Amino acid sequence: MSRPSSKNPNLAGLLALAVPGLGHLYLGLWTRGLVIFVTTLTLAYVVSWALESFKIALLALAGVNVSWLWAPFGAFWLWNVLDAYRRAQQRAAPRLWGFLLPALIVYVIAWQVTDVNLQRLVTRFGDAKIILSAIVQPDLFARDQVSQIGGAPIWVPCSEPPQPPLETGYSGYPVRLDKSCATVGETVTIFGEGFVPGATGNLHWLSFEGANEAQIRAGGQAVAVTVDPDGRFQQSFPVPTFAGLEGLDPQNPLLHSVEARFTQEVGAYHPSENFGDLIGKISQEPPPQVLVQLGLVSADALMPTPLLGDIFETIAIGLMATLFSIVIAVPISFLGAHNLMARVPGGNAIYYAARAIFNITRSIDTLIWGIIVVIWVGLGSFAGVIALTIHSVAALAKLFSEEIEHIDEGPVEAITATGGNLLQVIRYAVFPQIVPPFLAYALLRWDINMRAATVVGFVAGGGIGFFVIETVRKGGYAQYAAALWVVAIVIMAVDYLSARWRKQILEGETRISSEPPKAWYRTFKGWAYAVGLSIAFVVSWNLAQIDLRKMFDPGPTFGKVVSDFITIDTSPPVLAAVIKQLLITVFQALLATTLGAIVAIPFSFLAARNLMSRTRLSSAIYNVARFILNFLRSIEALLYVAIFVFWVGIGPFAGMLALAVTTFALIGKLFSEAIENIDAGPLEAVTATGATRIQTIMYAVIPQIIPPWISYAIYQWDINIRIATIIGLAGGAGIGLLFINYAGQLQYHKAGTVVLAIVIVVTLMDFVSAKIRQKLV
Amino acid sequence: MLRIEHLTKVYPNGTVALKDVSFQVQDGEFLAVIGLSGSGKSTLLRCINRLIEPTSGKIFWNDVDITAASSADMRNIRRQIGFIFQQFNLVKRSTVLTNVLSGRLGYTNPWASLVNYFSRVDHQRAVKNLERLGLEDKAHVRADSLSGGQQQRVGIARALMQEPKLILADEPVASLDPVLSHSILKYLEQLNKGDKMTVLCSLHFLDLVHRYATRAIALKAGELVFEGLPVEIDDARFKEIYGKEAERVSIV
Repeated sequence: MSRPSSKNPNLAGLLALAVPGLGHLYLGLWTRGLVIFVTTLTLAYVVSWALESFKIALLALAGVNVSWLWAPFGAFWLWNVLDAYRRAQQRAAPRLWGFLLPALIVYVIAWQVTDVNLQRLVTRFGDAKIILSAIVQPDLFARDQVSQIGGAPIWVPCSEPPQPPLETGYSGYPVRLDKSCATVGETVTIFGEGFVPGATGNLHWLSFEGANEAQIRAGGQAVAVTVDPDGRFQQSFPVPTFAGLEGLDPQNPLLHSVEARFTQEVGAYHPSENFGDLIGKISQEPPPQVLVQLGLVSADALMPTPLLGDIFETIAIGLMATLFSIVIAVPISFLGAHNLMARVPGGNAIYYAARAIFNITRSIDTLIWGIIVVIWVGLGSFAGVIALTIHSVAALAKLFSEEIEHIDEGPVEAITATGGNLLQVIRYAVFPQIVPPFLAYALLRWDINMRAATVVGFVAGGGIGFFVIETVRKGGYAQYAAALWVVAIVIMAVDYLSARWRKQILEGETRISSEPPKAWYRTFKGWAYAVGLSIAFVVSWNLAQIDLRKMFDPGPTFGKVVSDFITIDTSPPVLAAVIKQLLITVFQALLATTLGAIVAIPFSFLAARNLMSRTRLSSAIYNVARFILNFLRSIEALLYVAIFVFWVGIGPFAGMLALAVTTFALIGKLFSEAIENIDAGPLEAVTATGATRIQTIMYAVIPQIIPPWISYAIYQWDINIRIATIIGLAGGAGIGLLFINYAGQLQYHKAGTVVLAIVIVVTLMDFVSAKIRQKLV
Repeated sequence: MLRIEHLTKVYPNGTVALKDVSFQVQDGEFLAVIGLSGSGKSTLLRCINRLIEPTSGKIFWNDVDITAASSADMRNIRRQIGFIFQQFNLVKRSTVLTNVLSGRLGYTNPWASLVNYFSRVDHQRAVKNLERLGLEDKAHVRADSLSGGQQQRVGIARALMQEPKLILADEPVASLDPVLSHSILKYLEQLNKGDKMTVLCSLHFLDLVHRYATRAIALKAGELVFEGLPVEIDDARFKEIYGKEAERVSIV
């Protein structure tokens, strides 16, 4: 029953019809009206943009090009009228349509803009299998290969009369043919003896003087040869057409030859060459200068030297960047702490400036920074370190200053009351409060930096990222797969250690003992840590090729580059290109989030401990599911792009799929934790009413997990937009591709526009997603 | 002797927390400060060691004007005045020992204390004070692993490190349950009677005032409305201080 309202429903409806949202404003529903107004405006823009730029939803009506998406758009407008009218009568229009209609429009456009082509996933599955089998057999260990080759000569074609029999076995192992001459298509049989029993090999036809060669095939398949247990083999084959390419003149026969080649793996498995590149090897190198000068070794002697591989370079990049960013972030975080700056004259202005700089710097991805830094200090690991440092200084400084703002003022008061001066107050009341959370954040950042270090090489050179681009370019998928495994293992270890140490730091030691703990320099463990850390520092410094002088000796064009970056290009064609790629990026992220979340929903139940710990089988499934999530999560989206570029081709679709894989892994973990955290109370209560199992799930489980799930999905979309801004660097299209193109063409004005656009979109999404999530929880 | 003259405190937002308050405290007294929440008790105690700057008025401690002291002098004055807080104000993540030692900061060289250096004598003093409060076995645990009553005892031990002549206690038992309240107040009584320290203690419950205080003052909306012996607070006075609806409740 509607209560009489002071507002006129007809007027509300009319206003809503005139301007969407105005009806709600009239009713005093400010937020709702504003959201409807902005949604309508955005949808209108996106629909016309999609029609103009991509001919999406094109419908030629009486010679006029229109988009059929205007139909759902109109429906949304009408829904707004209905909603305003009903709300004036204290009722509400069905909410579902308010979500469904915009969602329909957005997904139709997103689907086409992202160039989704499910057919390609199926038709080119053969290509995917190549990579999948490489992942199962990564190139890390190999056995020695022994090859045996035996060849025999043959005339092509036969002369009249036939040539005399030829000397057999011109090279390697004894092999002979049953004919001294033959022409194309004729069947010849090859015999051999003295080969490794059981070996399988191929036959090759070598043209005149061995200038060309081809594998011998029959019926579309390579002719395979297998050696008998007694070391002999015998195989008939047709003379290939290849043999006739140089002419088939009986007056002038040419001497060709046939080779049987066997490659046999012998001995035990040992680390492969790729293992050496990735992880490390012992190599004979000239001795270090110090040892030569001490007269311990001669200068021209070689000594076994361990050479660390690309993964250690990556670890070093992450470690050094974390260290540098802590050192820089600690002092500047004080500038971003409101409680401190409010006491200093002019402090408020400094506070707002500091916070703005932190946020802007943070919203530009490490890889984008990488491209800029390379212009400054040149390609190499050091550029990667600087790029990571810039981003993490901003991220850490923000977290640190928030931590300073949240300290307990009580101890400050207490230490002041004992007569302590300002220094003592900071040392005894502020310091103990902020050190543990600072350390915890630094460890979290270490984890994030290690992940970023695996991809920063895509743009900066150095580390695993660089290794990956190089191997993928050469088509070395087994080597690429090995890199994925190594990255996954290292990152999973870092993830585990970082989480464990964080927990230790925040919970602290609470053991009861009347003995004071020994100072670190009095314990063996303390010394072991100190020495270990010092060595790690020195080794990392060298591996990451830290060269601070380079920072003060920027490339000759750097000054101009910076000024170009700041004076951005806002001419309409550039803006149109930037907006187009930006929208593709946002849609890519949206589809990836949707796809990843849909797959994650059923999977997350398998990865929820509370559901899966009943039987041994189910806990085994739980462990496998968790491992899959952890494994996939430890590899950055950028590293996955190569797989999908190979599978479905370069473009937004490949980028979207790569993003969807990381989304699945991240969101699967969050979803399953949401299931693990449900409150058992309602479950008990609903069961106690006599409800069935399905009813219990419907009424006690689903309502508890839906809000956190939606909240996580929106959060993930926010994260995905950040990742999508760089997915183009590896062939995944979107704004990153545009940026690297502009930067590559030295058009830094335009590159600056791209960066500004990224900052705006990321900041906006950050704000919107935070607001929506606040409402949900 | 502590002498307060015409003390007034107006906060920047216009709240008048203290209005022309004057009284004296003789050495060796246990003075209870009573009044409703927001009546100005905390502001009064914090003005005495200038954790809060008074707006006007003077405070004399043994004829030295605290309100006129320079910041170096203030450091010397503060270390003679122990302060005990309602919320204990311990550094939760530091050990009990560090918290207690920090009470000595007013005496130590600021640079030496930056690297956590305290003299052997200070360490012995800390252990002695912890023993006195029955916490000798807790020296090396983190402060937040202790119960509320234990934390307040650490707070007292920290104040004792200052070897104070005056103790200001701001609702020291308001965060504790009744049984613990007595144990904490008995320590204060001991310091007052045994160690001859002057104690100013704000309290909520009247029967605690009757039991422990030698004299009482009452604040109402920032004004001094009563000064006298605890026994003089009868029902009429009580209603005058706490308002008409108040009921006397007692604590075990």
